[in-house]
Amino acid sequence: MYGGGNTFEGIKTEGLKEEDPVKLAEFEARIERGEKIEPSDWMPQLYRKQLIRMIEQHAHSEIIGALPEGTWITRAPGFKRKMALMAKVQDEVGHAQLLYSAAETLGKSREQMIDDLITGKSKYSNIFNYPTFTWADCCFISWLVDAGAIVNQLANAKGSYGPYCRALDRICAEESFHLKYGHHCVIFLATGSKIQRDMFQDALNRWWPPMMHFFGPSDKISIHTQVLMKWKVKMGTNDDMRNQFLDMYVPKIWELGFTIPDYNLKKNTETSRWEYTEPDWEEFKRVINGGGPCNKERLEVRRIAEERGKWVREAMKAPKQKYVTPLA
Amino acid sequence: MMRDLALKELLYKMADDQLVLGHRNSEWTGLGPLLEEDIAFSSMAQDKLGHSLALYTILHQLGEPEPDKVAFTRNNNQFHNCILTELPNAEYDFSLIRHFLFDTAEALRFELLKNSSFEPLAQVARKVRGELRYHTLHANTWIKQLGVATQESISRLQRSLDFTIPYALGIFEESPNEPDLIQSGIFAGEQELKSQWQMKVELIISQTNLHLPDWKLQAPIMGGRSGKHSEHLQPLLDEMSEVLKIDPTAEW
Amino acid sequence: MTSLDPRVIRLPEIGEFGKIEPKAALDQFGTFEVFVQPAEGKSFQHEGIVHASNLELAFVLAKETFTRRFTCFSLCVVDTREVFASPFTEGNQNAYDLIPEIFGQDGPKVNYEIYHLLKRGKQHIHAGSIQATSPEEAMSIAKSQLNKGKVIFNIWAIRSSGIRFTSVEENDLWFTLPEKKFRDAAEYKGGDKLKVFLENQRNST
Repeated sequence: MYGGGNTFEGIKTEGLKEEDPVKLAEFEARIERGEKIEPSDWMPQLYRKQLIRMIEQHAHSEIIGALPEGTWITRAPGFKRKMALMAKVQDEVGHAQLLYSAAETLGKSREQMIDDLITGKSKYSNIFNYPTFTWADCCFISWLVDAGAIVNQLANAKGSYGPYCRALDRICAEESFHLKYGHHCVIFLATGSKIQRDMFQDALNRWWPPMMHFFGPSDKISIHTQVLMKWKVKMGTNDDMRNQFLDMYVPKIWELGFTIPDYNLKKNTETSRWEYTEPDWEEFKRVINGGGPCNKERLEVRRIAEERGKWVREAMKAPKQKYVTPLA
Repeated sequence: MMRDLALKELLYKMADDQLVLGHRNSEWTGLGPLLEEDIAFSSMAQDKLGHSLALYTILHQLGEPEPDKVAFTRNNNQFHNCILTELPNAEYDFSLIRHFLFDTAEALRFELLKNSSFEPLAQVARKVRGELRYHTLHANTWIKQLGVATQESISRLQRSLDFTIPYALGIFEESPNEPDLIQSGIFAGEQELKSQWQMKVELIISQTNLHLPDWKLQAPIMGGRSGKHSEHLQPLLDEMSEVLKIDPTAEW
Repeated sequence: MTSLDPRVIRLPEIGEFGKIEPKAALDQFGTFEVFVQPAEGKSFQHEGIVHASNLELAFVLAKETFTRRFTCFSLCVVDTREVFASPFTEGNQNAYDLIPEIFGQDGPKVNYEIYHLLKRGKQHIHAGSIQATSPEEAMSIAKSQLNKGKVIFNIWAIRSSGIRFTSVEENDLWFTLPEKKFRDAAEYKGGDKLKVFLENQRNST
């Protein structure tokens, strides 16, 4: 589960001048033709660096994203929900596995990436720094955060890097269960008792602002890097993704009789774009930089999990075995 | 009638074992030692939930309440799982040793039940054989890996093994009407299962640097089968039913 | 730790916030390539990798990492270092054009599995098995036997004896997979409930 956001800020393109112009031209032509780049192909340093950063952040978002929903894994109501939530959170861990592997093909080991996550050097999707107070928060994530992630991931799956695209194809196929399961949970809350309806309305009130943040800062204030669009690393603008999400899901939320906590939210019939109260981007920055309600807990849980598992991983190092970069 | 009682005892203890251990094992999801292992362990926890659901469904057909009701609303003294399954997860060495000891027994139990005279149970047993093949392959591979690897992994596993064996022997606590089960050809009985289990456990442990304690000196920790549990079960059940109990009449 | 997650409350306190012991770069164990045969009679295809300490554990971990969600008939894994790869090509260039012809090498012949990449960005797919004395020779023989007109962008040759295959009796590992409906999107149909709800809404207004 991953949105756009903080990936591409402050990119320096000066280094590009030092790249071999012939190879760079071939590389760009290949992308232009719609062909994928594979790990053993030549690629500019900036491409490699930005891809590692993006795929790594995506992977971190999956493994950290397992925590807010994991909060309810021991309390899911009834067999059906219990088994489904177990499988769903498991899938998030599986997605992390696929994404770390894709990033590894670019030369950074999983261990290094996880270290960078724990020390705060690399980021993950901001939305997972918010708490899941009730079962309904968990349902919000299963349905709508996953829906947002799918919008983003379907776009990224058309990107230029082969291993990332392959991982995303697999992930998107798995997400269809998440989305349906999440919607199913919310339909049951919506059509259930007053307690259940109120639970979801409260969750919606809490989660709407972070959901609007999910796709990253508005195009008006975010820095566009033309070259990353050209190289098909970034596949759409933050506002486009947000608009696509609103288009698909606002009617579904309204259909269930819930109120979205933004009275300015409406679709402009002339432009076909959604209008909404500008999200609080200062809050967004504050949370990215560690000031959210759960940043500390999320990293702490991840760190403790790594520490506790260390003896297992130590015991898996065999003299005959050696770490090698995955092939594809 | 006696046969029915004995049958229900068997189904309840098996279903409760699988539910409680599946629940415990699911607590590792997202917190495991290695991503790949996190995924594998979660799958097996899901399988356990699936097995318990299948067994509660058979019980429902025999006149017991619906699976959700049975699983989510009984109190600890109405549960028949062995105490082994309800113990907190502690560190991964214990979780893994418990998984090895329990699933070895479970795989053998289902193997014995494949030819049960009670056809619905025999069907379940035949159906889940592949899942249990995976569970034991997984457990054996890990025990053989960690049981010879580093000083730390060997001593962790040994400590957990020593601690867990008396609880694991509690798996084979007999139910009051067990003779009826054996006579009617439903199940070969806990004693038969136990001796098969001991041989299997010995076979795997002998391929490692671990040591099994002398079986004769081990006092099994019993009580679970008759509803006498440790202090750990009721909090587990309270946690499991927390959301459902917000509105027990609602559909979730 | 205080948390809304009871599991997190139960976590032991260890170490210090944000601190991890420094580790050497690439301080990790082995890498294994994973191949899946989605149905009987279909070809194996590459699905990804797992990290593990040995071939057997790699097989165990790959099973749930790659075959828990979609149909699977058989699975196999191999150490990444066992995969002999040709250069990558693009456009109309066939990777086999870059494979030198090797004849009559000495030594015992063993079996090699040959995988082809038929489209950049897609997975490597099993093309056939070749008896040869070396992976180079296997590719050279494959060039005449398995190279059937389509452009192939990359070739892998893997010694079969290095692969952990699924044994015949293990084929039941996936026996219940189709029945695990709780992982299936089609199982979550809320439409009827929603329809009744919407009708009631309409009637009450």
